[in-house]
Amino acid sequence: MASVTARARTLNINGWAFVVPALALIAAFAIYPILTSIWMALHAGQGAEATFVGFGNFVRLWSDPMFYQALTNTFIFLLVQVPIMIGLALVMASCLNMPSLRWRGLLRTALFLPCVTSLVAYSVLFRSMFSYDGIANAVLLQLGIVSEPVPWLTDPYWAKVVVMIALTWRWTGYNMIFYLAAMQNADKSIYEASRVDGISSFDRMVFITIPMLKPVILFTTVTSTIGTLQLFDEVMSITQGGPADGTLTLSLYIYNLSFKFMPDFGYAAAVSYVIAGLVAVLAAVQFLATRERTR
Amino acid sequence: MTPGFNRRRAIKATLGSLLGSGVGQCAAATTTGPSSEITVWAWDVNFNAAVMQDAAKRYAAKHPGFSVKVVDMAKSDLEQKLQIALASGVSRSLPDIVLIEDYNAPKYLRSFRGAFEPLSGRVNHAGFAKYKVDLMTVDGKVYGIPFDTGVTALYYRKDILASAGFAEKDLEGITWDRYIEIGKAVVAATNKKMICINPFDNGLLRAMVQSGGRWYFDKDGKLDIRGNPALRATLDIQARMVKAGIIKPSTNWAEWVGAINRGDVATVVAGPWVTASIKAEKKQSGLWGVVPMPSLGVPGAVNVSNDGGSSWYVLSSSKSKAQAVDFLGQVFANDLQFYQEILLSRGAMGSLLAARSGPAYSAPDAFFGGARIWQQLSDYVSKVPSVNYGAFTAEAGAAVNAQLPALMRGTSTDKVIDAIHTQLASQVR
Repeated sequence: MASVTARARTLNINGWAFVVPALALIAAFAIYPILTSIWMALHAGQGAEATFVGFGNFVRLWSDPMFYQALTNTFIFLLVQVPIMIGLALVMASCLNMPSLRWRGLLRTALFLPCVTSLVAYSVLFRSMFSYDGIANAVLLQLGIVSEPVPWLTDPYWAKVVVMIALTWRWTGYNMIFYLAAMQNADKSIYEASRVDGISSFDRMVFITIPMLKPVILFTTVTSTIGTLQLFDEVMSITQGGPADGTLTLSLYIYNLSFKFMPDFGYAAAVSYVIAGLVAVLAAVQFLATRERTR
Repeated sequence: MTPGFNRRRAIKATLGSLLGSGVGQCAAATTTGPSSEITVWAWDVNFNAAVMQDAAKRYAAKHPGFSVKVVDMAKSDLEQKLQIALASGVSRSLPDIVLIEDYNAPKYLRSFRGAFEPLSGRVNHAGFAKYKVDLMTVDGKVYGIPFDTGVTALYYRKDILASAGFAEKDLEGITWDRYIEIGKAVVAATNKKMICINPFDNGLLRAMVQSGGRWYFDKDGKLDIRGNPALRATLDIQARMVKAGIIKPSTNWAEWVGAINRGDVATVVAGPWVTASIKAEKKQSGLWGVVPMPSLGVPGAVNVSNDGGSSWYVLSSSKSKAQAVDFLGQVFANDLQFYQEILLSRGAMGSLLAARSGPAYSAPDAFFGGARIWQQLSDYVSKVPSVNYGAFTAEAGAAVNAQLPALMRGTSTDKVIDAIHTQLASQVR
């Protein structure tokens, strides 16, 4: 018999032998921690002395001002930085896609390089560039744009700006590569037709390029959303949560709860489930918004 | 059976190699038994780590074969690493002795009971400054050996203040309000700021609150935010200092020290550990003086406080804890000559009260124009108000920091105090 029955497939030891090691690792390092964290989120207490509180942690979340501060900051980063970054990446990809561009390889590398630099190295550099006597203030003062040094890292508003600049600098190139690849795979005949029809280049971008790139844009916005909701590295290295919790994000709040303040791992786990919930909701929203509507 | 691939043999070979590598790794991972080398975690390689090495040399002279390995890392890294190691329960990664800053000691002692070795009865704590011993006492047992004191003073640049028309007597026994007035005159006359403050680090704020004899928490560990005149006065004074324009802001340690070394500021209010940083700029030798810090001006406030200071603790999981306790007791609790040496070579002011009468403490210091600053500072040590730091210093600091911008923008102190209380109440469980 050439065909294999379903039952025979299930009992096929060969298949299981190949799959079991990977399954074991996933179970040990992904499934077990997730289940444990659900159990932990139902407990509260200092360090090792945790008692069962049911949904007590989530009730506590509801009236926790620091949690709301972290949530607000995270959403500010999400709603301001991500659109700017995606827009910039689209523009840059479109520029790099021009056939008449010289040194394209060099420019592409230069724009992509920030996202492979060492995180700590660039954070330290940004901190010194934006310090009170740093180069950013020196340039601004020299050009006469400001009359007094800007308190980049000592003011909650400007600290957010610094973090956004850092994030944009680092991740725009990464997103740009996705768009560039998609654009280069596109059918050039559409553009020829549009040129014959006399469509302006701006309209070309908005009505042809962007709809064509919709799946890629969806992918990058979802991953950027997830990345921003879990933002930790930059805020930890550049501002440590910022002056007056101005750049405190949810992940940094979890870190503080576990390793800086009196350790309450149960509460930290509860906050992490908030992040997980937000990620799921926002990803679902984005997929729904861009689904193909069949008429 | 296919000739090329034999399934049974392949399965046996895979399982065999897995087992073999597992056993091999187990053999490599077993510890080789208790070693005679003591591991110590500390920060500040020029100060704490160096003093620990000096102490080890003195002990090794009488106990050959004794050696100490000091692992140096940044203070906040050490705190987080210690907390993680204690929380995970993996004692293999813990050192034998660890340096803990006094503000954090109650947090560790109370969250991780049994992790630290009680030293009452094995070391004589009576000779140390009372406020240091109190903060390492839990349930009547004393857990560590006090090390350096953070007794605060006002360090000032004689030349800058002279150009504004002030001498040392104008700075002695003043209140912060008077300090602000002097500051405004200094800024106007010399274009230099009066003090450098790092809003991320509220060391000065804590020192000011403690100088009023109060803390964020009362003696029983309950929140003491509303109805705390010391905290209220501190916040008011901070707001007034900002409005007066006498502060130079900095964002980290390097900038803060840089402002002092470059001569951008006329004064520093900090513990004796700042002496080492001040002396780093040799060109300023002879230009500095030391007086008591300003007072809050509320009932119960004094001109002395504490900013920093740390102590050595022995981990109960240590395999060499008996020797570690003996080492710390012999050197830090008994060796007066040791304290003279570390004062001269490292500028380290210990908390052993008997050491104050040693020769190094009464020696004049050329950098400070021949003044006997160590004698001055050690006189202040016994006057530091004793407060219960509680276990939630980090949360309290975060709550206060979160409200500082609002305070600076002009929000009323009452509203700021309410906001601090609300945030802290939800954090403190």
